[in-house]
Order: sequence, then structure tokens, then C-alpha cells
Amino acid sequence: MLDFRQHLKGRYAALAMIVLAILGILLVRLWSMQVLSGDDYVAMAENNRLREISIDAPRGRILDRNGTPLVTNRPSLAVVAAAGTKDDEELLNRLSALLGMNVEEIRERVSSVKEAALRPRVVMIDASKEIVAYLAEHEAEFPGVEVQVIPLREYPNGQVAAHILGYTGEISEAQIAEPDFEGYVLGDTVGKTGAERQFESVLQGDKGYRRIEVDAVGRPRNIVEETDPVPGRDIVLTIDLEVQRVAEEALMLALEEAHSDDFTSARAAAAVAVDVQTGEVLAMASLPTYDPQLFLGGISAADWERLNAKDSEYPLNNRATMALYPTASTFKVITGLAGLTYGTTSEWKMYRCDGRWTEMGEQWSKYCWKRAGGHGAVSFHRGIVDSCDTVFYEIGYDFYKQGDEKLQKYARQWGYGELTGIDLPGEVSGRMPDAAWKAAFNRNYPEFRTWLPGDTVNISIGQGDMLATPLQVAASYAGIANDGRIMRPHVLKQVLDSQGEPVIEMKPEVAFSPDVDPGHLAVIHRALVAVTQEGTGASAFRGFEAKVAGKTGTAEVAGKDDYAWFAAYAPAAEPRYAVAVVIEQGGHGGSVAGPAAREILSALLGLPVEHVKATDVSR
Amino acid sequence: MRIGDDGFRRLMNVPLLVSVALLVLYGSVMVQSATSGMAGGGGMFYRHLFGLGLGFVLLVVAWLIDYSKFAGWIGPLIFLNAFLILSPRIPGLGATAKGATSWLEIAGVRLFQPSEPAKLVTIVIMAAVIAQYKGRIEQPRDVAKILGILAIPLGLILLQPDLGTGLVFVAITMGMLLVGGLKVKWFVAFGLTVVLGLGLLLPIDAGLDAMAGKDVALKEYQKNRLLVFVDSSRDPKGAGYNLAQSKIAIGSGGLSGQGLGSGTQGNLNFLPERHTDFIFSVLGEELGFLGAALLLGLYLVLMITALEISVQSKDLFGSLIAAGLISMWAFQVLENVGMTIGLMPITGIPLPFMSFGSSAMITNLAGTGMLLSVWARRRRT
Repeated sequence: MLDFRQHLKGRYAALAMIVLAILGILLVRLWSMQVLSGDDYVAMAENNRLREISIDAPRGRILDRNGTPLVTNRPSLAVVAAAGTKDDEELLNRLSALLGMNVEEIRERVSSVKEAALRPRVVMIDASKEIVAYLAEHEAEFPGVEVQVIPLREYPNGQVAAHILGYTGEISEAQIAEPDFEGYVLGDTVGKTGAERQFESVLQGDKGYRRIEVDAVGRPRNIVEETDPVPGRDIVLTIDLEVQRVAEEALMLALEEAHSDDFTSARAAAAVAVDVQTGEVLAMASLPTYDPQLFLGGISAADWERLNAKDSEYPLNNRATMALYPTASTFKVITGLAGLTYGTTSEWKMYRCDGRWTEMGEQWSKYCWKRAGGHGAVSFHRGIVDSCDTVFYEIGYDFYKQGDEKLQKYARQWGYGELTGIDLPGEVSGRMPDAAWKAAFNRNYPEFRTWLPGDTVNISIGQGDMLATPLQVAASYAGIANDGRIMRPHVLKQVLDSQGEPVIEMKPEVAFSPDVDPGHLAVIHRALVAVTQEGTGASAFRGFEAKVAGKTGTAEVAGKDDYAWFAAYAPAAEPRYAVAVVIEQGGHGGSVAGPAAREILSALLGLPVEHVKATDVSR
Repeated sequence: MRIGDDGFRRLMNVPLLVSVALLVLYGSVMVQSATSGMAGGGGMFYRHLFGLGLGFVLLVVAWLIDYSKFAGWIGPLIFLNAFLILSPRIPGLGATAKGATSWLEIAGVRLFQPSEPAKLVTIVIMAAVIAQYKGRIEQPRDVAKILGILAIPLGLILLQPDLGTGLVFVAITMGMLLVGGLKVKWFVAFGLTVVLGLGLLLPIDAGLDAMAGKDVALKEYQKNRLLVFVDSSRDPKGAGYNLAQSKIAIGSGGLSGQGLGSGTQGNLNFLPERHTDFIFSVLGEELGFLGAALLLGLYLVLMITALEISVQSKDLFGSLIAAGLISMWAFQVLENVGMTIGLMPITGIPLPFMSFGSSAMITNLAGTGMLLSVWARRRRT
């Protein structure tokens, strides 16, 4: 019996070796994992259990030039739901009944993939006390649903200045790819249009972060670390809330006025007021307008459709910088300055207006707006005062004959066809047409490619193919008032620090310095003053306390009623403000746009604002 | 031979009892830590202590019984073993967990897993059979007989189906055949068969499934476990998830661990089965490399002491029982710790003396009692 030990000695040794080998292999492996690569695994464990949740910084406020708030923030009680609730039919039905929203709308909001995974989705903003109380009492029936306080934009003045301010919304996937939005994540609220968009980088602020520990199913357990958000900076705009309000009301009154004059298609209008010495924009109005509050917490599909419908007149567009119009007789001052500069006319040079102008040949005849008998013998000065087309046909025809597109080149010096560079998104440059443009534009229509005398003649009275924005018109009149220097229009005045002290102050900047003689500016100035005293603008400015230099315009647009224009600056002796007003399909400039300009100038100059009835049938 | 003839000193084996006592103490601390954050964790800890208590009673009983009496009971033991393994199949008594019908249940209360005590019974059977060859196993006929007897419990356990426990049976038998004198050429032949078999297993299984139109041999989850072992990124939220989370837990323990009760992987539920199969992951995370080395050190003392008992046995039968227990523990440690660190495929094998689970605890303590029984009746020098 005892010999098995001797015989099997090697076998016991082998078993011992196997045991040692097993424990040895495990030990080596543990050494390599725990001691050599321990840090990597610690990082993986941290990554497992820690989640970073961002806390939005309050956006900076937007103030008017006097410090009156235009956009602020307010806390809102929002009903939010975790992303996982989208598959819980019963829960969605209960929510639908409680909130009075339909199930599909709730599901759409909850399943938004545009949000970071852990951020709960906003289902409803500004929940009523009843809803909040009900949710608190019936917590168990609404798993994943809670009430949170979220910051929302507040508009203390309602829709006033909506186009300048712009609206905010969730960042789009297209935006996130832009270099401007580096560091943003899906779900962030950003400025979409207007000042909110333009000054996004200062308004946004720095997010705060909260590191939370979660368990294996993602339930938060506790807060590990917290960094407070840094609020965005307040900005001060050059806008004067009172002037802005008056400008918007003046446009509404002008539309009513147009309707009572039987121009029943009038639905849209725009106005701009700038400081001629600094380029500061004091008011910028565009009708129809919209309510920026519709965008809070995400605009509904129905509202979005309504605001973008074909027959809506596109209320989201800021017509002052984005709409293009023929500027009609308001452009005569530029044609006039070009004529004076090139010596083809002078203040008292005499012209003959018979109502019909056949200088380019019988078959190319054109009419002055005063067809019956015309203006008779008329000086250049009088041509502006009475807005005689014939005088400017002659000047324009001279430019055609001289060649070299001098009129267009000169107009570009005054900013026509060029961006003013205003600090608002979406500005368009307009069009100052020339032969090259026409050939390219009509490349598929060989018979229309040639630049004709009539093309230049049409430009000379602000018609034909020329197009400009109301802002360009206001800027050019501001340039006339400011000794020929056009300041860059801007809406930002200051950026404030957290103490309310300015950290950035906008300095006036010259945008265009056209080649012009002070004497020639004086010729135009005298004529523009006479317009409101005895000419086409006299009716609108009867009894006005300040002397105003202005010009009416009535633009022909194919297939539409005439567009009414008025451009002006005041006070005439020491000009401070320039204004441009356009009423789409409003009829005559003197009778519809003129009174609106008068009201805006009243507000600018601190005069009592009164609406006057004016009659003028000139163009 | 009566025990106690030479007094208490002959009865006692201090290194064995101390290493086992330290292991169950260590295990209790880890089970307490792992279950403290779990729903119903307090109750689990008391169940663990109850299993320990019962286990020590059985340890003493096995110590006192003369193991050599079992040598003549091969036939009845084979029947007992088969009954144990089949008992969960008795209608009204069995329960299925994780795909295997391996629990005895009465009136909805899970009692124990008969496959755990079946390991001990298998050890005794195989020891009795192998001891008959007196340390020389050469003839194919003899090998066939031994394998045939192993095939009874192994086949039944694979039908549950419980691949992991089946592998334990194989490991036990191989260890005992090593000490029992099986010629080396046979081990080489077994090794080649296993390598070839594994190489052909999956293709053959796929072929069988395709012919029958359903899972015939390997279940889908078993296949997954095998495949995940090859490539753990294969299914990070499914079968590979357990392995990945376990490795993160152990690795992040570093040299000295996150501190007892402070492991985030365990406490935040990233670790599955953390009080049973993955108890070592909790230990690795909370006590680090030092804690793991201490555990492996205790196993070393346990198994070397058991080997000493095996060598000192008065007969080959007792020596083989000890060799079987060593093989069982060594394999379970290798498999359980190995799977938590990605060295072995994931199976549901508990870590001896450590994992929560009374069936395994009682079995291991009773096995310790058998070792003491062999020791107490050792040869006289």
C-alpha cells in the first residue's frame, strides 16, 4: 500500500506545479491590469459613472440707447419630459389630456434628437399653476415628467422692434457646422435673426457644468462637481424705443391712409431713421411684423407656416435692409449731384417740359408725371422742387451720350448697389445696373442684351432696373446732410460688463466718401428745403416746426400699385437725422409717405407727434 | 484505526482550518460589501451566514466519518449522484435559472443546487474507481471504463444544461487521473481531442442547427459567451458588457483599491451578479492588487496544505479524494477569476469560499471536512 507514494511522486509534483502555474498566471495578469494599466481603467470607470450636464447661461439683455430694456429674460415654469417617455403611450395620453396638446405634438417634442441625450425635452412652456399643482400631486402617474424653471426671452414692449431684435431658437444642424458656432452643441438656444443673431457671441455667455454620478441605468445619484454659468453681456442698441414706436405707428397709419385713398393693396412698408453724423440707427421699422414670443420654446408648425406663407408678405423679413425697391424720385438728388459734378447742369440751368419728351426720337418718347402741359420752362432747382421728370431725362440722356457709365459709377460712390455694412444679418446690396449687368442678366434673350439710352434715362429718375433698400436711401440722404460723408449705419452702441459699465463702445466710421463739391451739395440742399416749403412735400410738412430737407417719390412697379417714398433730413440748418420711408402700393409719396416721415422726424426732434392729412399727386 | 488515538494533535490540521476560516471571513466581508447597496441585500448577508453555519456542521460531520468506508459504495453513489443531478427535473421540485434547470425548489422557495454536492459525490466515485488501478492506468479498456463512469454525471449535467459545472467535473477527473497514474500519452491524446473538438464544435453545431432548424446542442447564449471571449467588443451591451464592466472594475482597483464599500462599478450596478459570480470583481475594485494577491495567497496555502494531506494519506483512495478537491478548487479559481479578467470564457462558476450561495459554500466546507477526515486517518511515520 505504501508504495503508491514513491511511484506517484512525480505526479504530486505535477499537481503542485499546475496549482502554482494557475495562481501565477492570475497574479501576473492582475499585476498588469491593476498596477500597470490601472490608470486607464480608472478613466474608463469615471467615464462609466460620470456624466456632464451643461447649465445654460442667462442670455445678455438688449437695451435701447436710453437703457430701456428691449429684451430681457424671465423664468418660466416648463413641463419637461425625459427622452425615454416617447414610447409610453399611456403617459403621453395622460399628458395630452392634462396639457391640452395632441399626442403627436408631445411625442415630436419628446423624441427630438436635436437635444443632448440626458437633457429633458421641453413639452410646454409657461405651464399654468393648475398643471404644476396637478403634476406635483400625481407624480407617480407621470414618471419621467417634471416641472423645471427655464429662462426664456421676454419682450417688455411686445412686438416693437421685432425685426431689429430678432428671435432666438434651438441651434440648427446647419448652424452648428458654421465656424461662428464652434463649441456649441445641439439643443443650445441661439440668436436666429436680427441683433440676437448678430451679437450672439456677446449675448450667449458661458455655460455652467454639473458633473453628476449615474448608475448603470443612467439614473443620477449625486452631484460631484458644479461650475456656475457666466451670464451673457448686456448690449445697448442705438435704437430709441420712443422713436421706434412712433415709426411703427406712423407706418400703420400710412397704410390706413393709403387704404382710404383707395390703394387697398397696401400691406407692407418700411422706415429707417439714422443719425447723419454717426450712422447710429434710431429707428428701423418693417411692416407687416411678427411676435418674437411665438418662437419661445420652439415655434409651432402652424405658426411657422403662417409666417412663411406666399400671401403673408413675409413678416419675418426686415424690409429696411432686405427688401429692394426702385427708389423713384428720391434718386433725383443723386442724378442731380452727378450732373452738377460732371458740369452738365447747374442750379439755374433752364429746361423745357411739355409733358412728353421725345429727345431720344419719336418712337422712344417718355412722359413727365405731369403729362397735361408739363412744367413748362423749369430750372434744375425747380425740377427737384416740383419733381419734374423731363429735367432728369435730359441729365440722364447726357450721361448716356457721354458714355463710360458715369451716372452709375457716381451712384455707387453714394452707396447704391453696395452694402452699407450695417451690423444686422441679411443686408442686401441692391442693384445699380450697367451694360455688363444687362448683358449677363439677359444672356438667354439676345434682343434685350444691349444697353439702350432709355436704360440710363430710367435710372436717372430712380426707375428701370435700379433697386435699393430703404437703408441705402436713408444713408445717401444722411450723406448729403453730412457734407458728403456717409457714415456706416449701425445698431450696436455699447456692450456692457456685469457691472453695467461699457466695455465696447462703437465708434462712428465712414462708409462712403463720394466725390462731391460743397457748393453742389448746397444746390441740392436748397432744393430739398424748398420741396417741403413749396414743392411736392409742402402738403405733408405744412405747419411743421422744424425746417426739413426732403424729397417725395412714387415708384412704378409692374403689376402693382405705385410705391410711395419719402426721404428727408432735418433740421435743415444743422442736420442731425435722416429718414427714409416706403409704403408698398401706397400711392403717392407726398400724400402717404410724407406724413409718416413727418411723424418720425417729430419724434426724433422732440416735437409733438401729430398725424396730418396730405394731398400730393406728383411722382 | 480510530481517530483520537494520538490525541488532538493528530486530528487537527491548523494551516487548512486557518486558511479556510480566513477565506470564509474574507468572503463574508466581500459579500457584505457587495450586497449592502442592493435591494434586499441585508437578508442576503444573513442567508450567507446561515449557509456558513450549516457548512461548518457538515465539515465536522465529514471530519468524523471515516472516508474509507465509501470505497465500497461505488454503485449506490453513482445512483445518488444521478438522482441529485436529475432531481431538478422532478415535476414540482425544479426551477430554471439562466437557461439551466439546476435548482431544487419547494413551494416556490429555492433550496439548493444539487449539482454542487454532486461535485463531491463525483470526487468520491472517481477516487474509488481510479484507486482500484493502484497508480497504473495504461490499458485502453481501463481508460474507457473510467471515462464511462465519468460520462454518467457529466452527461446528465450537460443536459441541464450547465456547461460550466460539466467542465468542473472534467477538471476534477483529469486532476485525479494525473495523481492516479494515467500514462502521459493519454493526457496528450485528451489534449489533442479537446483542441480538435473545440475547433470543430462551432461549425458542427451550426450544421446541426441548420439541419434541425433550431438550437440542437449549444444554446445561443453559450455560443455568445464563447465568441465574446474571443472578441469582447463583439457585443458591449450584451454578453461582452459583463466582461468589460468586470475588467473596468478590477483594473480601476489599482494597487490598493478604492476602499472597502467604495467601488463605483459595484455600487452603481455596473457589475452584474456582483455578489455571486463576479464577487472577485468587487474585491479587485475595492481592495486592489494587494487584496487580490492576499486572496490568491490564501488559496495557495489551502491547496498546498491539501496536497500535503494527499501525500500523507494512508491509502490511494484518500489521496485521490484530496487530489480531486485540489483540482476542483484550482479549476474554479482559474475559471472564476480568469473570466473576470478576460482570461477564460464567462460561465456561472462560483469562487470557492467567497461567492454568495449556500450550496457551493456547504459543498466546499464539507469537502474540507473530507480532507480533515483523510488527514486524521493519515499514515503513521
